[in-house]
Amino acid sequence: MTAQTTTMSAGPGSERVGTLARKLSNESFITLFMVGVLAVLFAVACLFVPNFWLPRNVVNLLTNYWYLIILGIGVTFLLITGNFDMSVGGNVALTGVVCAWCAQAASGSPNPLANGPGLPYGLSVAAALACAVGVGAVNAFFIVRLKVPSIIVTLGTMMLSRGLAQVITRGAQRNTSLPDVFGVVGNTFLPGTSLKVAVLIMVLLVAVAFVLEKGTVAGRRTYLIGANAEAARLSGVKVGRHIASLYLLSGLLAGITGILLASEFKAGVSSRATGYEFDALVICLLGGVSISGGFGSVLGMFVGAILLSVVTSSATGLLLSPDWQFTLKGLVTFLAILAQRFALDRRST
Amino acid sequence: MDRIDNVLEIRGLVKDFSSVRAVNDVSFDIRRNTVHCLVGENGAGKSTLIKILTGALQRTAGRVLLNGKDYAPRGPREAKQKGISTLFQELNVVDQLTVAENLTLGMEDTTLGFLRRTDKINRMVSVMNSLEPSIRPHQRVSTLSVAQKQIVEIAKAVAAEADVLIMDEPTAAISEGEIARLFAIVKALRHKNVTVIYISHRLDEIFELGDVVTVMRDGRHIATRPVAEVKDRSELIRMMIGKTVFEGYEARESGKKDVVLEVKNLANHKLKDVSFEVRQGEIVGFYGLVGAGKTELARAIYGADPYRGEVTFRGKKLPPRPDKVIAAGIALVPEERRSQGLFTILTVRGNVPVMNMAKISRRGFIDAAAERRVTLEAVERLRIATSSTEKETAKLSGGNQQKVVFAKCLFADADLLMLDEPTRGIDVGAKSEIYGIIRKLSREGKSILVFSSELPEIVNLCDTVHLLYDGELKATLENGRGVDSQRIMHVVTGGL
Repeated sequence: MTAQTTTMSAGPGSERVGTLARKLSNESFITLFMVGVLAVLFAVACLFVPNFWLPRNVVNLLTNYWYLIILGIGVTFLLITGNFDMSVGGNVALTGVVCAWCAQAASGSPNPLANGPGLPYGLSVAAALACAVGVGAVNAFFIVRLKVPSIIVTLGTMMLSRGLAQVITRGAQRNTSLPDVFGVVGNTFLPGTSLKVAVLIMVLLVAVAFVLEKGTVAGRRTYLIGANAEAARLSGVKVGRHIASLYLLSGLLAGITGILLASEFKAGVSSRATGYEFDALVICLLGGVSISGGFGSVLGMFVGAILLSVVTSSATGLLLSPDWQFTLKGLVTFLAILAQRFALDRRST
Repeated sequence: MDRIDNVLEIRGLVKDFSSVRAVNDVSFDIRRNTVHCLVGENGAGKSTLIKILTGALQRTAGRVLLNGKDYAPRGPREAKQKGISTLFQELNVVDQLTVAENLTLGMEDTTLGFLRRTDKINRMVSVMNSLEPSIRPHQRVSTLSVAQKQIVEIAKAVAAEADVLIMDEPTAAISEGEIARLFAIVKALRHKNVTVIYISHRLDEIFELGDVVTVMRDGRHIATRPVAEVKDRSELIRMMIGKTVFEGYEARESGKKDVVLEVKNLANHKLKDVSFEVRQGEIVGFYGLVGAGKTELARAIYGADPYRGEVTFRGKKLPPRPDKVIAAGIALVPEERRSQGLFTILTVRGNVPVMNMAKISRRGFIDAAAERRVTLEAVERLRIATSSTEKETAKLSGGNQQKVVFAKCLFADADLLMLDEPTRGIDVGAKSEIYGIIRKLSREGKSILVFSSELPEIVNLCDTVHLLYDGELKATLENGRGVDSQRIMHVVTGGL
């Protein structure tokens, strides 16, 4: 390598690989790879499950997991920085319960679960969101300020937030003395369709997240931190502040999900969203997000969610006993991630 | 048993790293039961030689005879089994265990995986007691000082009946009093049938401790002599540096420009009361051997590590945070390019603009066209050899990776650049290109601080040279014809 080295010349062997494949970044490659896997799985499911190909079912497949996708946005961003958020499930339950409790009227009923402060719905929503962001703030404090590993902190807040939800509902739910407006958001359909408002919100949030991730300086910082946190710090990135704001964002998204779910069921249920934190993690992994950080995308996570949706609904369609759902999910996750590793390794050689 | 005189015979040893010959046809003998010192500048090939002896690296050519038999360990474990133990700077003890447990670590007698009490432990403890009675076997290792931990490791090597004990800069991290104790033990090892290979940058230690000294320079063997026959430090230094050629430096008109950076009484865990000034357009060098505190100084000024004292840049006190320091107009090319400078899993385009995203974005939104343009400009300006701006930087050569780190810092539009080992591990061509860039930046009025352990680099580039030893700024000299490289070596090896 001397001064004479030609710059910007194609390396040897560039003809061996197709031009398109070579131009793709690893990230687009993995996303397309998982779209391919999705297409194959869908085709197979269409062969075996009656009516699987019907547009009505396809729409269902795409929108089934709107709540996981909303949660997945925050989880994806954090994973890209190399951090976990396992608190989202508990946070969904807590915010749903807080929203319901605040909105409950003082009915005078002797049942304590039927009485609340009777705040206007708007204020209840605000209180619930504040609570959700508060959980994010607790995460941020321990992880950024006290440097405790994120998996430990967020497992802690997962249980804390669900625990609080159980305290508020006495281990059950709050579903009485609620104003009618409480159930509106979760049960309104977009005009002329079978889609809920929540799905629209999900689509909007994914679109915003996509722009944020790819088009903004903040999105770029997320990748820098995950790729090399020390180099990021020495390059002037405020690493701690950025991670903290992502935890707040993840909390906020969990809050939105919690409020939408509570509205849909017209109840604040303390056992709601059990295991969602793992499902959100699974769809990220299926979508090619790396748990070692620096790699992945919201779009990939979205594809991962659809993949999970195809697997679970085809299993239901095949009348597979629900007992098998977990095993199936586990197998698919395992295989998908092995396939990704394999594909990436093949590509880099 | 009648054993031959030389415990190790090294014959025509060669080690190549891709384009660099780190050890070049080295031959010498190490006599049994002596303390054999190995000296040389950074990059002289000492470490590579040692790594071959300990099995961490495999030779390219040549032979090594241990007790007259061919010796070619495939790994550190085999080296240890054959009788060569090493005391690394990073000590190999487990803090949570007791002294006795550490002594037998890895050599426990077991039955079906369960520990068995045998007299092995007593043997080892008695070896340790004969070296240093003040360490008790049931003491937790975390309660020991660094020097005491070293003694535990030495005892372990002696008890394992090592023929050779390699000690790499053992005094770098211990206090004066402890050094004396350590030396007494090292001297006593002769009577326990242990040969010591001793590496140190502190030349006084050679005279105090050594029986024989071998000098290496630029990968070659220069001389092996009994220490008693070496007249003084100066003679040793002459052998270490040979004729350093300073062809590159041209004295420049030194119209007294404004002082831009002022460092006053800087101190932290490593640095002791460092003060200096830097003028606009000046290239200032910081020279010292490993452990002198160069990197610590750069990181402190940059705000990456905490410090006491005051750093003023263009009349304003610098807050100790990298983002603020960058905003004030200072950029750093860090010592470790892969772990501190580069985002290896990102592309060239993902790396170049990161220190000044404001320049390619509007209201937080990245202007993709501008980003591509500035990356291409940087690639052309620094002649980075890459097939595309979309290539992962992990796949570039070392020199080109370093150029990407340079490009990143230049894009910060800094007025003062700090370069920590700017040409470490890159080939000659890329090196001279980087020197060219540094000189050009200085002509453009930028001030540059070069932190380097390569004397030719410092002397070729810098207008002013500060010499560091053990965290202290020992001397400052103006570069020019009269600069005396032997005097420099004298200072940075601990002389006055």
